[in-house]
Amino acid sequence: MALLSKALNAIGLLLLAHAVYSAHEHSALHAAAPSASSQTPSAAALPLDITLETLASVLFVCAGLVLGSPALRPIQWSEWAGEVEQEEGRNRQGRGKVGMKEGEVVGNPFRVLEERPGFLDVRAKRKEFADWVREGGSG
Amino acid sequence: MAAELINPPPSVPPALALRMSQQAPRILQQSSGPSLPYPLSLLTASEAPETWIGYENLMLACLRTGDDRSARICLEKLTQRFGEDNERVMALRGMYHEAVAEDYKALESIFRGYEEVLKKDPTNMPIRKRRVALLKAMNRPIDATTALVGLLDASPTDAEAWAELADLYLTQNLYAQAIFSLEEVLLITPNAWNIHARMGEILYLSSLATNSNNDGNLMRGLCESMRRFCRSIELCDNYLRGYYGLKLVRPLAHFHSPQQPLSTNTSTNNPLKQTTKHLLSLLSKTSKPAPAAADPQFGDLAPPSLATIERLHELATAKLAEIVRRNAAGESGWDGYDQAEVIAAGELLGRDAQKIER
Repeated sequence: MALLSKALNAIGLLLLAHAVYSAHEHSALHAAAPSASSQTPSAAALPLDITLETLASVLFVCAGLVLGSPALRPIQWSEWAGEVEQEEGRNRQGRGKVGMKEGEVVGNPFRVLEERPGFLDVRAKRKEFADWVREGGSG
Repeated sequence: MAAELINPPPSVPPALALRMSQQAPRILQQSSGPSLPYPLSLLTASEAPETWIGYENLMLACLRTGDDRSARICLEKLTQRFGEDNERVMALRGMYHEAVAEDYKALESIFRGYEEVLKKDPTNMPIRKRRVALLKAMNRPIDATTALVGLLDASPTDAEAWAELADLYLTQNLYAQAIFSLEEVLLITPNAWNIHARMGEILYLSSLATNSNNDGNLMRGLCESMRRFCRSIELCDNYLRGYYGLKLVRPLAHFHSPQQPLSTNTSTNNPLKQTTKHLLSLLSKTSKPAPAAADPQFGDLAPPSLATIERLHELATAKLAEIVRRNAAGESGWDGYDQAEVIAAGELLGRDAQKIER
């Protein structure tokens, strides 16, 4: 999906640039020869192919942007919370997502209320880990 | 830096902590290249907040697994970046010293260090929190409670501190105080589904522990606990913890519902049934209050009707069965449950099924 959206974006931007350049050239041509254009007003209007190219390029870019956007989060609180819980469980079991995008907020915002990093009892955690190692380090 | 370092899952299991701390040498080596002089270093250094959160979590993981050397390097990096006087760095340094302290005396000297810092600046919240944590680690829960209450007097909107206070009270078996503290947490974060579930659990425990000879209170506590579990389910889809609690509360709430006829349950071989029988005999001894729309004395809601309790129980059973089944099948979207929790849920369901067979 990422490749498709990038390709669509690239093609769309290229076409857009081309359409803009064509329109500019067209108007420059007619400005240079005012006598020719004054005879028939339709000749001064933008040719149909440039208009179509512009519209198509904008559509391409729109489609590319929409396809490339990250997956939507549920807007219902309970649904979102359920998803967050699942995601965290997967992380805990060590099979979470590998790559993390910058600025992406994942996780349960209320888990600090049960974790309480400010009040972390390091010594107890150390002891727990030492016990786990002594038991054979499984589970 | 790996995602688990930037955003570690809740209650990191030892295996994951070990894996996190094993990344330490690589990460520390990567970032300890020769640094350029001041204006140029701004261009090369990565200044994303994630970097520093990553260092902090790496340090905690290293402290936990006993890799004190790497923890020290992380701490030095953080100190270099944020300065000696940064409150968060001060708390981390305190934590490091606590972790490597040899004996009780060393802990006491760290405690005196915290007191010194607080004398200079009583608004240093991270250090105040460390002080409470240290008191707790030194096995002085009453002093820790006093210190924490003082902290909350100064900053009553600190949900984390209220939650810690609830836990502290709970370790001293002061259920009413723990429930009050959790209610404060819920006032600050009313949508925290895990706190609603925690509240339900504590209400359940406290009504079993303290009200065994007062049926009215027991029933009120269980109904309240049930409501809390319902709320946690409402806030979070497929919340195993909430459904488990709901199913667990039911048998007792059931027998204490005023509409419940006293004729069921005659077998004595099942220990669970014996308790319910015991409760039943209690119920027949005491006169039941008539169900009113609201308790005039406490303003509580009336207990739910038997039909509601039954339907909630059915819902919880169905949902737990679904969770266990789909988790076992490994369906996507259902595979994030803690295995121990799923096994416990399966056991609870099995116990129920056994009872019906008999």
